[in-house]
Amino acid sequence: MDIDINRLATLAKLQLTDDEKAMLERQLPDILDYVSKLQEVDTSGVDAKAYLTDAVNVLREDVITLTREERDAVVAAFPKQVGGAMEVPGVFAE
Amino acid sequence: MTTNWTVKAIRDAVNSGSATAASIVDEALSRIEKKDGEIGAFLEVFVDDARKAAKDIDVRHAAGETNLPLAGVPIAIKDNMLVMGHVASAGSKMLADYRSAYTATAVARLQAAGAIIIGRTNMDEFAMGSSTETSAFQKTKNPLDVTKTPGGSSGGSAAAVAADMVPAALGSDTGGSVRQPASLCGIVGMKPTYGRVSRYGIVALASSLDQVSPFTKNVEDAALVLSIIEGKDPHDATSVVLDEPIGDNFSLDLSGVRVGVPKEYFIDGMDEDVAACIRSGIEKFREAGAEIVDISLPLSPYALAVYYIIQPAEASSNLSRFDGMRYGNRGEGAIEESYRSARGAGFGAETKRRIMLGTFILSAGYYDAYYKKAIAVRAALKTEFDQAFKRVDVILSPTSPVVAWDIGAKMNDPVAMYLADIFTVAANITGIPGISVPCGTAHGLPVGLQVLGRNFDDNKVLQVAAAFEALHNAS
Repeated sequence: MDIDINRLATLAKLQLTDDEKAMLERQLPDILDYVSKLQEVDTSGVDAKAYLTDAVNVLREDVITLTREERDAVVAAFPKQVGGAMEVPGVFAE
Repeated sequence: MTTNWTVKAIRDAVNSGSATAASIVDEALSRIEKKDGEIGAFLEVFVDDARKAAKDIDVRHAAGETNLPLAGVPIAIKDNMLVMGHVASAGSKMLADYRSAYTATAVARLQAAGAIIIGRTNMDEFAMGSSTETSAFQKTKNPLDVTKTPGGSSGGSAAAVAADMVPAALGSDTGGSVRQPASLCGIVGMKPTYGRVSRYGIVALASSLDQVSPFTKNVEDAALVLSIIEGKDPHDATSVVLDEPIGDNFSLDLSGVRVGVPKEYFIDGMDEDVAACIRSGIEKFREAGAEIVDISLPLSPYALAVYYIIQPAEASSNLSRFDGMRYGNRGEGAIEESYRSARGAGFGAETKRRIMLGTFILSAGYYDAYYKKAIAVRAALKTEFDQAFKRVDVILSPTSPVVAWDIGAKMNDPVAMYLADIFTVAANITGIPGISVPCGTAHGLPVGLQVLGRNFDDNKVLQVAAAFEALHNAS
Protein backbone atom coordinates (compact mmCIF):
# COMPACT_ATOMS: atom_id res chain seq x y z
CA MET A 1 0.00 0.00 0.00
CA ASP A 2 1.50 3.32 -1.13
CA ILE A 3 0.50 6.25 1.03
CA ASP A 4 1.56 9.80 0.27
CA ILE A 5 1.99 11.06 3.84
CA ASN A 6 2.74 14.65 2.79
CA ARG A 7 -0.40 14.91 0.69
CA LEU A 8 -2.51 13.41 3.50
CA ALA A 9 -0.99 15.81 6.03
CA THR A 10 -1.92 18.71 3.72
CA LEU A 11 -5.51 17.45 3.46
CA ALA A 12 -5.66 16.98 7.25
CA LYS A 13 -4.05 20.41 7.85
CA LEU A 14 -1.57 18.77 10.16
CA GLN A 15 2.03 19.75 10.66
CA LEU A 16 4.12 16.64 11.26
CA THR A 17 7.76 16.20 12.20
CA ASP A 18 9.97 13.90 10.14
CA ASP A 19 9.86 11.33 12.93
CA GLU A 20 6.06 11.42 12.99
CA LYS A 21 5.95 10.99 9.21
CA ALA A 22 8.30 8.03 9.37
CA MET A 23 6.19 6.40 12.07
CA LEU A 24 2.94 6.96 10.17
CA GLU A 25 4.50 5.59 6.98
CA ARG A 26 5.18 2.42 8.94
CA GLN A 27 1.93 2.17 10.91
CA LEU A 28 -0.83 3.31 8.54
CA PRO A 29 -0.29 0.41 6.10
CA ASP A 30 -0.53 -2.07 9.02
CA ILE A 31 -3.86 -0.61 10.10
CA LEU A 32 -5.21 -0.37 6.54
CA ASP A 33 -4.11 -3.93 5.93
CA TYR A 34 -6.15 -5.01 8.96
CA VAL A 35 -9.31 -3.11 7.98
CA SER A 36 -9.06 -4.21 4.34
CA LYS A 37 -10.43 -7.59 5.31
CA LEU A 38 -13.88 -6.04 4.86
CA GLN A 39 -13.40 -6.56 1.12
CA GLU A 40 -14.15 -10.26 1.78
CA VAL A 41 -17.73 -9.42 2.79
CA ASP A 42 -20.41 -9.46 0.11
CA THR A 43 -22.49 -6.33 0.66
CA SER A 44 -24.37 -6.24 -2.65
CA GLY A 45 -27.96 -5.30 -1.94
CA VAL A 46 -27.24 -3.78 1.48
CA ASP A 47 -28.83 -0.37 2.02
CA ALA A 48 -26.10 1.56 3.81
CA LYS A 49 -26.55 4.79 5.74
CA ALA A 50 -24.12 6.74 7.91
CA TYR A 51 -26.63 6.52 10.80
CA LEU A 52 -28.73 3.53 11.76
CA THR A 53 -31.50 5.49 13.47
CA ASP A 54 -34.91 6.02 11.93
CA ALA A 55 -34.75 9.73 12.68
CA VAL A 56 -35.66 12.09 9.86
CA ASN A 57 -34.80 15.78 9.68
CA VAL A 58 -35.10 17.39 13.08
CA LEU A 59 -35.81 21.07 12.76
CA ARG A 60 -35.94 23.97 15.20
CA GLU A 61 -36.78 27.64 15.05
CA ASP A 62 -33.82 29.78 13.98
CA VAL A 63 -33.68 31.88 17.12
CA ILE A 64 -30.79 32.70 19.40
CA THR A 65 -31.15 30.96 22.75
CA LEU A 66 -27.66 31.68 24.05
CA THR A 67 -27.62 33.65 27.29
CA ARG A 68 -25.34 36.66 27.67
CA GLU A 69 -23.26 34.66 30.15
CA GLU A 70 -22.83 31.78 27.70
CA ARG A 71 -21.99 34.15 24.87
CA ASP A 72 -19.30 35.85 26.95
CA ALA A 73 -17.87 32.47 27.92
CA VAL A 74 -17.68 31.40 24.26
CA VAL A 75 -15.85 34.61 23.36
CA ALA A 76 -13.53 34.27 26.36
CA ALA A 77 -12.35 30.91 25.03
CA PHE A 78 -11.18 32.41 21.70
CA PRO A 79 -7.39 32.50 21.47
CA LYS A 80 -7.64 36.02 19.99
CA GLN A 81 -10.50 38.47 20.03
CA VAL A 82 -11.25 42.10 19.25
CA GLY A 83 -14.20 43.85 20.82
CA GLY A 84 -16.12 40.64 21.55
CA ALA A 85 -15.52 39.11 18.11
CA MET A 86 -13.08 36.40 17.05
CA GLU A 87 -9.94 37.69 15.39
CA VAL A 88 -8.55 35.50 12.62
CA PRO A 89 -5.64 35.76 10.18
CA GLY A 90 -6.50 37.21 6.76
CA VAL A 91 -8.49 34.65 4.80
CA PHE A 92 -7.84 36.19 1.39
CA ALA A 93 -4.13 36.91 1.90
CA GLU A 94 -2.03 36.24 -1.24
CA MET B 1 -18.62 7.31 57.68
CA THR B 2 -20.81 4.28 58.24
CA THR B 3 -22.79 4.61 55.01
CA ASN B 4 -22.09 2.09 52.26
CA TRP B 5 -20.16 3.86 49.53
CA THR B 6 -22.80 3.25 46.85
CA VAL B 7 -25.10 5.63 45.00
CA LYS B 8 -28.30 4.33 46.54
CA ALA B 9 -26.96 4.09 50.12
CA ILE B 10 -25.60 7.65 50.01
CA ARG B 11 -28.77 9.02 48.45
CA ASP B 12 -30.91 7.31 51.11
CA ALA B 13 -28.63 8.49 53.93
CA VAL B 14 -28.82 12.11 52.77
CA ASN B 15 -32.57 12.01 52.13
CA SER B 16 -33.28 10.39 55.51
CA GLY B 17 -31.09 12.91 57.30
CA SER B 18 -28.62 10.35 58.67
CA ALA B 19 -25.81 12.04 56.72
CA THR B 20 -25.39 15.52 55.29
CA ALA B 21 -24.30 16.14 51.71
CA ALA B 22 -21.45 18.21 53.15
CA SER B 23 -20.16 15.25 55.16
CA ILE B 24 -20.39 12.98 52.10
CA VAL B 25 -18.42 15.44 49.99
CA ASP B 26 -15.79 15.78 52.74
CA GLU B 27 -15.51 12.00 52.78
CA ALA B 28 -15.11 11.86 48.98
CA LEU B 29 -12.48 14.61 49.03
CA SER B 30 -10.53 12.86 51.75
CA ARG B 31 -10.66 9.53 49.88
CA ILE B 32 -9.38 11.26 46.74
CA GLU B 33 -6.68 13.02 48.75
CA LYS B 34 -5.58 9.72 50.27
CA LYS B 35 -5.66 7.54 47.17
CA ASP B 36 -5.33 9.57 44.03
CA GLY B 37 -1.66 10.43 44.42
CA GLU B 38 -0.92 6.82 43.57
CA ILE B 39 -3.77 6.16 41.09
CA GLY B 40 -3.88 9.38 39.05
CA ALA B 41 -7.58 9.13 38.21
CA PHE B 42 -8.39 12.83 38.51
CA LEU B 43 -7.12 15.69 36.37
CA GLU B 44 -8.88 18.20 38.61
CA VAL B 45 -11.01 18.04 41.73
CA PHE B 46 -13.71 20.73 41.90
CA VAL B 47 -13.23 21.27 45.65
CA ASP B 48 -14.94 24.64 46.06
CA ASP B 49 -17.86 23.98 43.71
CA ALA B 50 -18.45 20.54 45.25
CA ARG B 51 -18.56 21.96 48.77
CA LYS B 52 -20.87 24.76 47.63
CA ALA B 53 -23.21 22.34 45.85
CA ALA B 54 -23.30 20.09 48.95
CA LYS B 55 -24.21 23.01 51.18
CA ASP B 56 -27.02 23.88 48.77
CA ILE B 57 -28.38 20.31 48.93
CA ASP B 58 -28.30 20.45 52.76
CA VAL B 59 -30.17 23.76 52.78
CA ARG B 60 -32.80 22.32 50.48
CA HIS B 61 -33.05 19.22 52.68
CA ALA B 62 -33.65 21.42 55.74
CA ALA B 63 -36.38 23.23 53.80
CA GLY B 64 -38.17 19.93 53.26
CA GLU B 65 -36.73 18.68 49.96
CA THR B 66 -36.02 15.13 51.07
CA ASN B 67 -36.68 13.19 47.90
CA LEU B 68 -33.89 14.07 45.45
CA PRO B 69 -33.02 10.95 43.44
CA LEU B 70 -29.25 11.49 43.74
CA ALA B 71 -29.12 13.67 46.87
CA GLY B 72 -25.52 14.35 47.83
CA VAL B 73 -24.04 11.61 45.63
CA PRO B 74 -20.49 12.55 44.55
CA ILE B 75 -19.99 11.73 40.88
CA ALA B 76 -16.83 12.13 38.79
CA ILE B 77 -17.02 12.96 35.09
CA LYS B 78 -14.73 12.22 32.19
CA ASP B 79 -12.66 15.17 31.02
CA ASN B 80 -14.62 15.39 27.73
CA MET B 81 -17.82 16.55 29.45
CA LEU B 82 -18.56 20.24 29.78
CA VAL B 83 -19.34 21.90 33.10
CA MET B 84 -19.82 25.62 32.69
CA GLY B 85 -16.83 27.61 33.90
CA HIS B 86 -14.61 24.55 34.35
CA VAL B 87 -11.81 23.30 32.14
CA ALA B 88 -12.73 20.39 29.85
CA SER B 89 -9.57 19.32 28.05
CA ALA B 90 -10.54 15.91 26.59
CA GLY B 91 -7.10 14.73 27.71
CA SER B 92 -5.48 16.97 25.09
CA LYS B 93 -2.95 19.77 25.14
CA MET B 94 -5.18 21.32 22.46
CA LEU B 95 -7.85 22.09 25.09
CA ALA B 96 -5.62 22.29 28.19
CA ASP B 97 -6.99 25.73 29.12
CA TYR B 98 -10.41 25.55 27.50
CA ARG B 99 -13.21 26.63 29.84
CA SER B 100 -16.70 25.38 29.07
CA ALA B 101 -19.28 27.94 28.03
CA TYR B 102 -22.19 25.69 29.00
CA THR B 103 -22.93 22.43 30.81
CA ALA B 104 -23.48 19.05 29.12
CA THR B 105 -27.08 17.81 29.36
CA ALA B 106 -26.12 14.57 31.14
CA VAL B 107 -24.14 16.54 33.73
CA ALA B 108 -26.90 19.14 34.18
CA ARG B 109 -29.39 16.33 34.80
CA LEU B 110 -27.13 14.82 37.46
CA GLN B 111 -26.87 18.20 39.16
CA ALA B 112 -30.63 18.74 39.03
CA ALA B 113 -31.09 15.34 40.71
CA GLY B 114 -28.91 16.43 43.62
CA ALA B 115 -25.61 14.83 42.59
CA ILE B 116 -22.33 16.61 43.33
CA ILE B 117 -19.87 16.85 40.42
CA ILE B 118 -16.64 16.18 42.25
CA GLY B 119 -14.09 16.55 39.47
CA ARG B 120 -12.91 15.58 36.02
CA THR B 121 -11.06 12.36 35.28
CA ASN B 122 -8.18 11.35 33.06
CA MET B 123 -8.81 9.85 29.63
CA ASP B 124 -7.09 8.95 26.40
CA GLU B 125 -6.70 12.05 24.25
CA PHE B 126 -10.09 12.79 22.66
CA ALA B 127 -11.07 9.28 23.87
CA MET B 128 -8.74 7.61 21.36
CA GLY B 129 -7.12 4.71 23.12
CA SER B 130 -7.81 1.63 25.21
CA SER B 131 -5.49 2.25 28.18
CA THR B 132 -5.78 5.97 29.11
CA GLU B 133 -2.08 6.27 28.21
CA THR B 134 -2.58 8.67 25.29
CA SER B 135 -3.66 11.39 27.75
CA ALA B 136 -1.45 14.46 27.34
CA PHE B 137 -1.34 14.90 31.11
CA GLN B 138 -0.75 11.78 33.18
CA LYS B 139 -0.88 8.02 33.45
CA THR B 140 -3.72 6.41 35.40
CA LYS B 141 -3.07 3.18 37.25
CA ASN B 142 -5.35 0.23 37.85
CA PRO B 143 -6.33 0.37 41.54
CA LEU B 144 -6.22 -3.44 41.75
CA ASP B 145 -2.60 -3.57 40.57
CA VAL B 146 -0.81 -0.28 40.01
CA THR B 147 1.60 -1.78 37.48
CA LYS B 148 -1.38 -2.38 35.16
CA THR B 149 -3.48 -0.11 32.99
CA PRO B 150 -7.08 0.60 34.05
CA GLY B 151 -8.12 0.23 30.40
CA GLY B 152 -9.57 3.09 28.46
CA SER B 153 -10.45 5.46 27.16
CA SER B 154 -12.47 6.35 30.29
CA GLY B 155 -9.76 4.89 32.56
CA GLY B 156 -9.78 7.76 35.06
CA SER B 157 -13.50 7.41 35.74
CA ALA B 158 -13.16 3.61 36.05
CA ALA B 159 -10.23 3.88 38.45
CA ALA B 160 -11.99 6.52 40.59
CA VAL B 161 -14.93 4.14 41.13
CA ALA B 162 -12.82 0.99 41.48
CA ALA B 163 -10.69 2.68 44.17
CA ASP B 164 -13.88 3.74 46.02
CA MET B 165 -13.06 7.42 45.68
CA VAL B 166 -16.54 8.00 44.25
CA PRO B 167 -19.56 5.68 44.07
CA ALA B 168 -20.22 6.56 40.41
CA ALA B 169 -18.62 8.26 37.44
CA LEU B 170 -19.58 9.07 33.88
CA GLY B 171 -17.57 7.96 30.89
CA SER B 172 -18.25 7.93 27.18
CA ASP B 173 -18.35 4.69 25.22
CA THR B 174 -17.55 4.92 21.50
CA GLY B 175 -16.10 1.44 20.95
CA GLY B 176 -15.98 0.04 24.48
CA SER B 177 -14.43 2.94 26.37
CA VAL B 178 -16.65 2.33 29.41
CA ARG B 179 -17.32 -1.42 29.30
CA GLN B 180 -13.65 -2.35 28.73
CA PRO B 181 -12.18 -0.31 31.64
CA ALA B 182 -15.08 -1.49 33.84
CA SER B 183 -14.04 -5.05 33.02
CA LEU B 184 -10.33 -4.39 33.67
CA CYS B 185 -11.09 -2.63 36.97
CA GLY B 186 -13.69 -5.10 38.25
CA ILE B 187 -16.71 -2.79 38.30
CA VAL B 188 -19.96 -2.25 36.36
CA GLY B 189 -20.04 -0.16 33.16
CA MET B 190 -23.19 0.22 31.07
CA LYS B 191 -23.40 1.58 27.52
CA PRO B 192 -27.04 2.39 26.88
CA THR B 193 -28.71 2.15 23.49
CA TYR B 194 -27.54 4.86 21.10
CA GLY B 195 -29.96 7.78 21.49
CA ARG B 196 -30.98 7.02 25.07
CA VAL B 197 -28.65 9.67 26.52
CA SER B 198 -27.97 13.12 25.06
CA ARG B 199 -24.50 13.77 23.68
CA TYR B 200 -24.89 17.54 24.03
CA GLY B 201 -21.82 19.00 25.73
CA ILE B 202 -19.63 15.94 25.20
CA VAL B 203 -16.51 16.57 23.10
CA ALA B 204 -17.46 14.57 20.00
CA LEU B 205 -15.24 11.68 18.91
CA ALA B 206 -17.40 9.66 16.51
CA SER B 207 -20.92 11.05 16.55
CA SER B 208 -22.73 7.96 15.27
CA LEU B 209 -21.06 5.80 17.95
CA ASP B 210 -20.57 7.95 21.09
CA GLN B 211 -22.82 7.37 24.08
CA VAL B 212 -22.53 8.70 27.66
CA SER B 213 -22.30 5.74 30.02
CA PRO B 214 -22.09 5.28 33.80
CA PHE B 215 -19.57 3.38 35.95
CA THR B 216 -20.78 2.07 39.33
CA LYS B 217 -20.06 -0.66 41.86
CA ASN B 218 -23.29 -2.54 41.16
CA VAL B 219 -26.01 -2.88 38.53
CA GLU B 220 -28.73 -1.19 40.56
CA ASP B 221 -26.60 1.97 40.85
CA ALA B 222 -25.93 1.94 37.11
CA ALA B 223 -29.67 1.85 36.48
CA LEU B 224 -30.24 4.64 38.96
CA VAL B 225 -27.70 6.96 37.32
CA LEU B 226 -28.93 6.05 33.86
CA SER B 227 -32.54 6.77 34.82
CA ILE B 228 -31.48 10.35 35.61
CA ILE B 229 -29.33 11.16 32.58
CA GLU B 230 -31.49 9.47 29.91
CA GLY B 231 -34.16 10.99 27.71
CA LYS B 232 -34.87 13.27 24.81
CA ASP B 233 -32.87 16.48 24.64
CA PRO B 234 -33.72 19.17 22.09
CA HIS B 235 -29.99 19.91 21.86
CA ASP B 236 -29.18 16.44 20.49
CA ALA B 237 -31.22 15.50 17.44
CA THR B 238 -30.18 11.84 17.78
CA SER B 239 -31.59 11.54 21.31
CA VAL B 240 -35.01 9.94 21.35
CA VAL B 241 -38.29 10.11 23.23
CA LEU B 242 -38.21 6.90 25.26
CA ASP B 243 -41.10 4.45 25.29
CA GLU B 244 -39.44 2.53 28.09
CA PRO B 245 -37.50 4.59 30.60
CA ILE B 246 -35.08 2.76 32.89
CA GLY B 247 -37.13 1.08 35.59
CA ASP B 248 -36.30 0.02 39.13
CA ASN B 249 -37.59 -3.53 39.11
CA PHE B 250 -34.70 -6.00 39.04
CA SER B 251 -36.38 -9.11 40.35
CA LEU B 252 -35.94 -11.23 37.25
CA ASP B 253 -36.29 -14.99 37.31
CA LEU B 254 -33.66 -16.29 34.89
CA SER B 255 -35.65 -19.42 34.14
CA GLY B 256 -37.26 -18.89 30.79
CA VAL B 257 -34.73 -16.25 29.73
CA ARG B 258 -33.11 -17.18 26.42
CA VAL B 259 -29.41 -16.46 26.54
CA GLY B 260 -27.43 -16.48 23.31
CA VAL B 261 -23.76 -17.46 23.29
CA PRO B 262 -22.14 -16.60 19.95
CA LYS B 263 -19.33 -18.94 19.00
CA GLU B 264 -17.45 -16.10 17.27
CA TYR B 265 -16.88 -14.45 20.66
CA PHE B 266 -14.69 -17.28 21.88
CA ILE B 267 -11.88 -16.79 19.45
CA ASP B 268 -8.60 -18.53 18.83
CA GLY B 269 -5.79 -16.83 20.63
CA MET B 270 -7.93 -15.32 23.34
CA ASP B 271 -6.70 -15.75 26.89
CA GLU B 272 -7.79 -19.24 27.97
CA ASP B 273 -8.26 -18.28 31.60
CA VAL B 274 -10.54 -15.41 30.58
CA ALA B 275 -12.56 -17.77 28.36
CA ALA B 276 -12.82 -20.30 31.20
CA CYS B 277 -14.02 -17.61 33.60
CA ILE B 278 -16.74 -16.51 31.16
CA ARG B 279 -17.78 -20.12 30.53
CA SER B 280 -18.22 -20.67 34.27
CA GLY B 281 -20.33 -17.51 34.34
CA ILE B 282 -22.53 -18.89 31.56
CA GLU B 283 -22.83 -22.12 33.56
CA LYS B 284 -24.37 -20.07 36.40
CA PHE B 285 -27.07 -18.93 33.99
CA ARG B 286 -27.76 -22.53 33.05
CA GLU B 287 -27.99 -23.59 36.70
CA ALA B 288 -30.44 -20.76 37.36
CA GLY B 289 -32.71 -22.14 34.67
CA ALA B 290 -31.87 -19.90 31.74
CA GLU B 291 -32.05 -21.46 28.30
CA ILE B 292 -28.55 -21.34 26.78
CA VAL B 293 -28.74 -21.03 23.00
CA ASP B 294 -25.66 -21.49 20.81
CA ILE B 295 -25.82 -18.84 18.14
CA SER B 296 -23.64 -17.64 15.33
CA LEU B 297 -22.91 -14.04 14.32
CA PRO B 298 -20.74 -14.71 11.26
CA LEU B 299 -19.91 -11.06 10.61
CA SER B 300 -18.44 -10.59 14.09
CA PRO B 301 -14.83 -11.02 12.91
CA TYR B 302 -15.35 -7.91 10.76
CA ALA B 303 -16.79 -5.64 13.46
CA LEU B 304 -13.43 -4.27 14.58
CA ALA B 305 -12.43 -3.43 11.00
CA VAL B 306 -15.76 -1.61 10.51
CA TYR B 307 -15.06 0.30 13.70
CA TYR B 308 -11.52 1.31 12.76
CA ILE B 309 -12.85 2.80 9.51
CA ILE B 310 -15.98 4.60 10.74
CA GLN B 311 -14.42 5.86 13.96
CA PRO B 312 -11.33 7.55 12.42
CA ALA B 313 -13.46 8.87 9.54
CA GLU B 314 -15.90 10.57 11.91
CA ALA B 315 -13.11 11.62 14.28
CA SER B 316 -11.09 13.30 11.55
CA SER B 317 -14.22 15.28 10.61
CA ASN B 318 -15.17 16.14 14.20
CA LEU B 319 -11.63 17.19 15.11
CA SER B 320 -11.36 19.58 12.17
CA ARG B 321 -12.95 22.18 14.46
CA PHE B 322 -9.74 22.27 16.49
CA ASP B 323 -7.81 24.67 14.31
CA GLY B 324 -6.60 27.24 16.84
CA MET B 325 -9.32 29.74 15.89
CA ARG B 326 -12.07 29.18 18.47
CA TYR B 327 -10.25 27.00 20.99
CA GLY B 328 -6.75 26.31 22.22
CA ASN B 329 -3.65 28.14 21.09
CA ARG B 330 -3.42 30.15 17.89
CA GLY B 331 -0.83 28.81 15.43
CA GLU B 332 1.85 30.89 13.73
CA GLY B 333 1.71 32.48 10.31
CA ALA B 334 -0.91 33.00 7.59
CA ILE B 335 -4.16 31.12 7.85
CA GLU B 336 -3.30 27.72 6.33
CA GLU B 337 0.04 27.65 8.11
CA SER B 338 -1.71 28.73 11.31
CA TYR B 339 -4.11 25.78 11.14
CA ARG B 340 -1.30 23.32 10.52
CA SER B 341 0.94 24.56 13.29
CA ALA B 342 -1.85 24.79 15.88
CA ARG B 343 -2.95 21.23 15.10
CA GLY B 344 0.61 19.91 14.89
CA ALA B 345 1.44 21.35 18.31
CA GLY B 346 -1.90 20.57 20.01
CA PHE B 347 -2.56 16.93 19.04
CA GLY B 348 -0.69 13.90 20.36
CA ALA B 349 0.53 10.88 18.41
CA GLU B 350 -2.60 8.69 18.55
CA THR B 351 -4.88 11.58 17.61
CA LYS B 352 -2.66 12.44 14.65
CA ARG B 353 -2.61 8.79 13.62
CA ARG B 354 -6.41 8.58 13.57
CA ILE B 355 -6.87 11.94 11.85
CA MET B 356 -4.47 10.79 9.12
CA LEU B 357 -6.23 7.44 8.89
CA GLY B 358 -9.67 9.06 8.71
CA THR B 359 -8.48 11.58 6.14
CA PHE B 360 -7.11 8.76 4.01
CA ILE B 361 -10.33 6.75 4.30
CA LEU B 362 -12.45 9.73 3.25
CA SER B 363 -10.13 10.90 0.46
CA ALA B 364 -11.04 10.72 -3.21
CA GLY B 365 -10.33 7.27 -4.64
CA TYR B 366 -10.55 5.48 -1.28
CA TYR B 367 -13.93 6.59 0.08
CA ASP B 368 -15.90 3.83 -1.66
CA ALA B 369 -13.45 1.05 -0.85
CA TYR B 370 -13.22 1.91 2.85
CA TYR B 371 -15.96 4.15 4.20
CA LYS B 372 -18.86 3.03 2.00
CA LYS B 373 -17.85 -0.58 2.45
CA ALA B 374 -17.71 -0.13 6.22
CA ILE B 375 -21.19 1.39 6.51
CA ALA B 376 -22.56 -1.42 4.33
CA VAL B 377 -21.02 -4.09 6.60
CA ARG B 378 -22.31 -2.09 9.57
CA ALA B 379 -25.87 -2.33 8.23
CA ALA B 380 -25.41 -6.06 7.56
CA LEU B 381 -24.08 -6.55 11.08
CA LYS B 382 -27.14 -4.80 12.47
CA THR B 383 -29.42 -7.12 10.50
CA GLU B 384 -27.46 -10.10 11.83
CA PHE B 385 -27.99 -8.98 15.45
CA ASP B 386 -31.70 -8.27 14.77
CA GLN B 387 -32.06 -11.85 13.48
CA ALA B 388 -30.25 -13.29 16.52
CA PHE B 389 -32.48 -11.33 18.90
CA LYS B 390 -35.53 -13.06 17.43
CA ARG B 391 -34.18 -16.29 18.97
CA VAL B 392 -32.69 -14.96 22.21
CA ASP B 393 -33.38 -12.22 24.76
CA VAL B 394 -29.76 -11.32 25.49
CA ILE B 395 -26.31 -12.26 24.20
CA LEU B 396 -23.37 -13.06 26.49
CA SER B 397 -19.69 -12.65 25.73
CA PRO B 398 -16.44 -11.65 27.37
CA THR B 399 -16.09 -7.86 27.60
CA SER B 400 -12.37 -7.98 26.87
CA PRO B 401 -10.25 -10.81 25.44
CA VAL B 402 -7.58 -10.16 28.10
CA VAL B 403 -7.22 -8.91 31.68
CA ALA B 404 -5.47 -5.62 32.51
CA TRP B 405 -2.02 -5.50 30.93
CA ASP B 406 1.23 -3.81 32.00
CA ILE B 407 1.32 -0.06 31.57
CA GLY B 408 3.25 0.72 28.38
CA ALA B 409 3.00 -2.80 26.93
CA LYS B 410 0.92 -1.97 23.83
CA MET B 411 1.86 1.65 23.23
CA ASN B 412 4.04 1.01 20.17
CA ASP B 413 1.73 -1.41 18.41
CA PRO B 414 -1.54 0.29 17.39
CA VAL B 415 -3.14 -2.84 15.97
CA ALA B 416 -2.51 -4.78 19.22
CA MET B 417 -4.06 -1.91 21.18
CA TYR B 418 -7.06 -1.78 18.83
CA LEU B 419 -7.68 -5.52 19.35
CA ALA B 420 -8.56 -4.78 23.00
CA ASP B 421 -11.92 -3.49 21.70
CA ILE B 422 -12.74 -6.58 19.67
CA PHE B 423 -15.77 -7.69 21.73
CA THR B 424 -17.18 -4.27 22.57
CA VAL B 425 -17.30 -2.42 19.22
CA ALA B 426 -20.28 -4.32 17.80
CA ALA B 427 -22.64 -2.69 20.32
CA ASN B 428 -21.55 0.77 19.17
CA ILE B 429 -21.69 -0.11 15.49
CA THR B 430 -25.22 -1.51 15.83
CA GLY B 431 -26.37 0.89 18.57
CA ILE B 432 -27.50 -1.84 20.98
CA PRO B 433 -27.10 -1.63 24.78
CA GLY B 434 -24.32 -3.51 26.56
CA ILE B 435 -23.12 -3.84 30.12
CA SER B 436 -19.98 -5.29 31.69
CA VAL B 437 -20.42 -6.97 35.08
CA PRO B 438 -17.71 -8.60 37.21
CA CYS B 439 -17.54 -12.35 36.53
CA GLY B 440 -14.51 -13.48 38.51
CA THR B 441 -10.77 -13.34 37.96
CA ALA B 442 -8.08 -14.68 35.67
CA HIS B 443 -4.37 -14.33 36.49
CA GLY B 444 -5.53 -12.63 39.70
CA LEU B 445 -7.19 -9.77 37.80
CA PRO B 446 -10.87 -9.07 37.13
CA VAL B 447 -12.80 -10.44 34.17
CA GLY B 448 -15.99 -8.78 32.94
CA LEU B 449 -18.99 -10.54 31.43
CA GLN B 450 -20.73 -8.56 28.69
CA VAL B 451 -24.52 -8.70 28.35
CA LEU B 452 -25.89 -7.32 25.09
CA GLY B 453 -29.57 -6.69 24.38
CA ARG B 454 -32.03 -5.48 21.80
CA ASN B 455 -32.21 -1.82 20.83
CA PHE B 456 -33.83 0.14 23.68
CA ASP B 457 -34.26 -3.06 25.71
CA ASP B 458 -31.80 -1.63 28.26
CA ASN B 459 -34.06 -2.72 31.11
CA LYS B 460 -33.71 -6.38 30.13
CA VAL B 461 -29.92 -6.00 29.93
CA LEU B 462 -29.88 -4.45 33.42
CA GLN B 463 -32.22 -7.10 34.83
CA VAL B 464 -30.18 -9.99 33.44
CA ALA B 465 -26.95 -8.36 34.65
CA ALA B 466 -28.45 -7.81 38.12
CA ALA B 467 -29.59 -11.44 38.28
CA PHE B 468 -26.11 -12.61 37.32
CA GLU B 469 -24.52 -10.22 39.83
CA ALA B 470 -26.65 -11.77 42.60
CA LEU B 471 -25.62 -15.30 41.55
CA HIS B 472 -21.98 -14.28 41.33
CA ASN B 473 -22.00 -12.57 44.73
CA ALA B 474 -23.66 -15.62 46.30
CA SER B 475 -21.08 -18.06 44.94
